[in-house]
Amino acid sequence: MGSALENYVNQVRTLSASGSYRELAEELPESLSLLARNWSILDNVLETLDMQQHSLGVLYVLLAKLHSASTANPEPVQLIQLMRDFVQRNTVEQLRFAVCAFYETCHLFTEFVVQKNLSILGIRILSRAIDQIRQLDTQLTPIHADLCLLSLKAKNFSVVLPYLDADITDISTVAAECKTQQQQQSQHTDANNDAKYFLLYYYYGGMIYTAVKNYERALYFFEVCVTTPAMAMSHIMLEAYKKFLMVSLIVEGKIAYIPKNSQVIGRFMKPMANHYHDLVNVYANSSSEELRIIILKYSEAFTRDNNMGLAKQVATSLYKRNIQRLTKTFLTLSLSDVASRVQLSSAVEAERYILNMIKSGEIYASINQKDGMVLFKDDPEKYNSPDMFLNVQNNITHVLDQVRQINKMEEEIILNPMYVKKALGSQDDDLTSQHPKTFSGDPTD
Amino acid sequence: MHLNKYSELQQRLENEEFEQVELGADVYQQLLAIYMYQNKLADAKLLWMRIPNKLKEDKELIQLNLLNVALQNNNYADFFKNIKYEWSERVKAPVEDLLIKQREELFKLMGSAYVSIYQHNVLELSLMSEEELKNACAALNWTEELDGDRVILKPKVQEAPPSRGNDDQLLKLTEFVTFLEN
Repeated sequence: MGSALENYVNQVRTLSASGSYRELAEELPESLSLLARNWSILDNVLETLDMQQHSLGVLYVLLAKLHSASTANPEPVQLIQLMRDFVQRNTVEQLRFAVCAFYETCHLFTEFVVQKNLSILGIRILSRAIDQIRQLDTQLTPIHADLCLLSLKAKNFSVVLPYLDADITDISTVAAECKTQQQQQSQHTDANNDAKYFLLYYYYGGMIYTAVKNYERALYFFEVCVTTPAMAMSHIMLEAYKKFLMVSLIVEGKIAYIPKNSQVIGRFMKPMANHYHDLVNVYANSSSEELRIIILKYSEAFTRDNNMGLAKQVATSLYKRNIQRLTKTFLTLSLSDVASRVQLSSAVEAERYILNMIKSGEIYASINQKDGMVLFKDDPEKYNSPDMFLNVQNNITHVLDQVRQINKMEEEIILNPMYVKKALGSQDDDLTSQHPKTFSGDPTD
Repeated sequence: MHLNKYSELQQRLENEEFEQVELGADVYQQLLAIYMYQNKLADAKLLWMRIPNKLKEDKELIQLNLLNVALQNNNYADFFKNIKYEWSERVKAPVEDLLIKQREELFKLMGSAYVSIYQHNVLELSLMSEEELKNACAALNWTEELDGDRVILKPKVQEAPPSRGNDDQLLKLTEFVTFLEN
């Protein structure tokens, strides 16, 4: 082992033993390039360190290994196993001093397993990493986006869905973490990436919900992504906007409401999502035939954006919406009439659609094969069953929790010194309005 | 019948998938059968998508996926046709449970969606023999009528079991009212 590496090990051992983790975390980034240069003997370094006692030291060795992965070309399964051991055995109190380096390790690890086509093996590891590093169950970390990416790549959402289901109340960013820790930033942990990982989380999250056909929640995720306050448009936002339009059609049949404050949408995104707006306009005419033609016309663009499957879902949703509309006008209708009114090819196909819709509870009807008629009914739910009661109860609990959460957050804002200063400042301002505003900090920053 | 009947096995298989490379077809076969039985169709669809291509030549997996596709498309006729197969011991139990469940579901659906349905259509959907169908209909109190020489079945609406309130529900309601009043 080279003497420089021996120094590294000694440094890690001494400072860890004396508990000077802060000092260690400040000095380790300088050794990163040294470690990466000596990638071939990093395993020897690891042998002399203990994952639990020297978590910080091991973290930087891992980081160096991942940095040099393109040149060193390590055995993927071995590296994954190393990462798995690390997230299972490290001491999280030590990691808190080097959160940014931990995030970077996770990002590089994600890149590595995606590249090696082993995404599924990384899912549990990142899930464990998130559980360790986040301070609240409702805190969003940059690793969340990585977990979503791996889940999408591996087409396995059982682990990620619970994370997506939790409503976020707090965000951990590299900018905030590094400010408090005064860490040196290596070139890869750019604080500007905070926005990227935030947007990616909501974009990927929306895609995952779309894949499991939870369209309402998907719509919410895309909405958060496109309405994120911004001066310039990110391409993540643009892609999210395209999907947002399509999912809107499936859920609501029109463009879902978007808060007016996001100028980016009108100025940049609309002109770049022309095809999608055309689709929305045609959908509004309720003609399945026209919709089919326009999807065919733009199929190249949709395929390029990987939105063709979604376009087909949109087409199916229009048939269903048209059938639903019939239930509002008619009490009984013959199956062939249904077929001609919603532009389906035959009475048999109409029957199939209606049967599926009855099964999924989208309409209430009964089919009479003897006369070839369908009888539309009202919702038979009388809200008196125990199941419904349970449902209402769950919703009530959910709303109560949210009210509590909002009150808590409001309280935090009211007690925030910066907010108080600004609120008081603007009152003074109103009194003496000739003075220009001089605020030291803006709480919305 | 419990939906979580296979949850232990399912968890073990999922763990294997998350932690091992080069899985055999048997893991996927069992998982696919369990997902279908649990009516997790999205999971089943995604599972098929992530199965490595070289394993997709496995005969039993292909057959299971035929069931999967039929379920995705709500195609009962295809489902009952493809379920007639010599299943291996590994997947036999969940597949048999799945068959029973789908039969039940089909009759429940027909009961709620149809006022009258031709017998030959039911036979086509469920792939039952006339004798089996007669027994099934008798169990559900369905009546028969003749339309010319074709038999029409008239499903009977199943009554929901009567509901009763209980103290727990009352407690929750009181809690809610207290919240509203404060």
